[in-house]
Amino acid sequence: MEQTIVAIDQLVKRYREKLAVDHFSMKVMEGEILGLLGPNGSGKTTTINCLLSLLKFDKGEITVFGKPMSPEAYDLKGQIGVVPQNVAVIQTLTVAENIDFFCGLYIKDRKTRKQYVEEAIRMTGLEEYRKYYPKKLSGGLIRRLNIACGIAHKPKLIIFDEPTVAVDPQSRNAILEGIREMNRQGATIIYTSHYMEEVEELCTRIIIMDRGRNVAEGTTAQLKASLRNRETIRMEMVTCTDEMLADLKEINHVYEVKVDGECLMIRCDGGTHNLVHIMGYFAEKNIPFGRVVTELPTLNDVFLEITGKELRD
Amino acid sequence: MFCHVFVYRIKELLRNPWHLAWNLLFPIGLATAFFFGFGNLIKEDPELFTAIPVGYVKEADQPFDEVMTSLSEDKKDPILKVSRYSGEEQAKKALRAGKVRGYYIQKGDTISVVVGRNGITSTTLHQILKEYENQKKVLETIGAKHPEKIAAAVETIQSRQNFLHPHVFNQYTSVYMNYFFSLIAMASLYGSWLSTTMLSGISANMTERGKRYESAPIRKMTSLSAGLAATMLLQGVFNGILVLYIQYVLQLHFGVPLWQVLVVTTVGGAMGIAIGIFIGALVKKKGLQMALTLGVSMVSSFLSGLMWGEIRQIIESRIPVVNRLNPAAMLTGCLYNLGNYGMTKNFYRDLYSMILMTLGLLLVSVAVLRRRNYDSL
Repeated sequence: MEQTIVAIDQLVKRYREKLAVDHFSMKVMEGEILGLLGPNGSGKTTTINCLLSLLKFDKGEITVFGKPMSPEAYDLKGQIGVVPQNVAVIQTLTVAENIDFFCGLYIKDRKTRKQYVEEAIRMTGLEEYRKYYPKKLSGGLIRRLNIACGIAHKPKLIIFDEPTVAVDPQSRNAILEGIREMNRQGATIIYTSHYMEEVEELCTRIIIMDRGRNVAEGTTAQLKASLRNRETIRMEMVTCTDEMLADLKEINHVYEVKVDGECLMIRCDGGTHNLVHIMGYFAEKNIPFGRVVTELPTLNDVFLEITGKELRD
Repeated sequence: MFCHVFVYRIKELLRNPWHLAWNLLFPIGLATAFFFGFGNLIKEDPELFTAIPVGYVKEADQPFDEVMTSLSEDKKDPILKVSRYSGEEQAKKALRAGKVRGYYIQKGDTISVVVGRNGITSTTLHQILKEYENQKKVLETIGAKHPEKIAAAVETIQSRQNFLHPHVFNQYTSVYMNYFFSLIAMASLYGSWLSTTMLSGISANMTERGKRYESAPIRKMTSLSAGLAATMLLQGVFNGILVLYIQYVLQLHFGVPLWQVLVVTTVGGAMGIAIGIFIGALVKKKGLQMALTLGVSMVSSFLSGLMWGEIRQIIESRIPVVNRLNPAAMLTGCLYNLGNYGMTKNFYRDLYSMILMTLGLLLVSVAVLRRRNYDSL
């Protein structure tokens, strides 16, 4: 039976009048990669800081590995790794020293620590840079160092707080692959991001946060299945008539047709050959059209449907 | 864990170019500038008490010869450095050549002193002679009227001499050395920058790495004590280098054994660290922390005489409480008293005040910093 690694129950955190986390609850099961998705300011980082007992909270309960989390819960803290949103390394220590320093806060045995530091350097691809100071590293490399410092002690639970902000695509892919590898080795992962593509690609389960609340939860497929929209077809059009729009709405599974600039947007709530049927209509009526794009629903659509606004707003 | 954090704190701070520049190189640079400004005034200070080179021309055996011998034979602190000449011409020649500041010449029972110029040296030479003649006259009178009491009179004179030495004064240091004492005080208070940097690295409400640090299973007291030990050691070493530089490179002497100066400056460094911890514990904003540490350092140093040597004495005579509370004035006063008067009551008052201030600030800071989670980050 899967063990519950983290349980947050009815968490409330206020900053004076502002409600940052509003009765938020979640569970993280052993071995999963849980994505905490939400726009900037939705309460993801505040939740993580409460989970780490860095922040006081007003209400709620937090347990980690089945025990209540507190600032003095050193046994629990020893099993958690943190990769904070902003780079958290020491500028006057080299790459290897930074990793050794932070690893040493968890691992007392010098021999074991040395081995762990080497493994972290290898895993993050920093072998060539071990004697470099952080200021000499590129943005991508410094992010990798930030990760290495958080994971070197082989924690059972790793929290990544937006680790790919301002990272080039190549480094981003390396980081995501590294996270998968850590998960394969047994680590449970909490991954916060406002990049829906990343979360969709990486996470086994997703919680969507907005204004401090848990607004949706499930696997990517489950979240998308909750949408009416299953496919969006966009067509470049020269002219659109009301008759044509009415005809298109009659096609099976089409539930919304609207003109968006020079583009016609058709939304379907299911079916398998919607594009074929729509193209058939245009061929039959001999109506000219330009480029055609078909899009499957994204997490942004889920977010849009639940909150009425775009994830990137 | 303590050692792990301690070693890395040393590495971290020692490689920080900002700290090296302000905590080590700037005070050395300023000491050098002071030296070029008034170093010679210190070395050639007429007020500075050193053995006075004096000539002695004697034509017959007289008790004054013994006086000359006794005043120059003390190996540690001789009052006179006596050169004996067989004739006055030789002594005049030596005076003109600057080899002696004056000479005593004895013709029969009469002893006179010839000096090159007036000043504290000539006064001292005259005073020695005057004292000798007074005592000689007293003993002669007693010997003539009450010869049986001559032994008791000699004993009384000796006991009066003993009475004049209840306190052993140190070698007098120039008043200009006060600028260097204030400079050392300023350098010690710059230690507050080391401790605010150290503190920011272990506090989640100050930096991102503080968040990472406080997420780790390490007790706050371990972090603090290792950080304090590292910063105090570093500031102690920086102060030590500055003191050695002043003593051996600039050749300006503190007037006491070096280890005593180092003990005092180490306490001063610890006080600077404690002030930084206190400011860091109460103020979260880095800019404000910086402004406060700089403000405290500069204002305290100014009031201790960094820019205007007499200001500490003026404050002492008008509002002495300021000197009792000003950390830089405490350290400056400690070094001044030590160099001039030795371990006097005032020296211990300033030393204990520094220790008390350090401990008090650390206790308050630890009480504030003990909390492990925050209302906001």
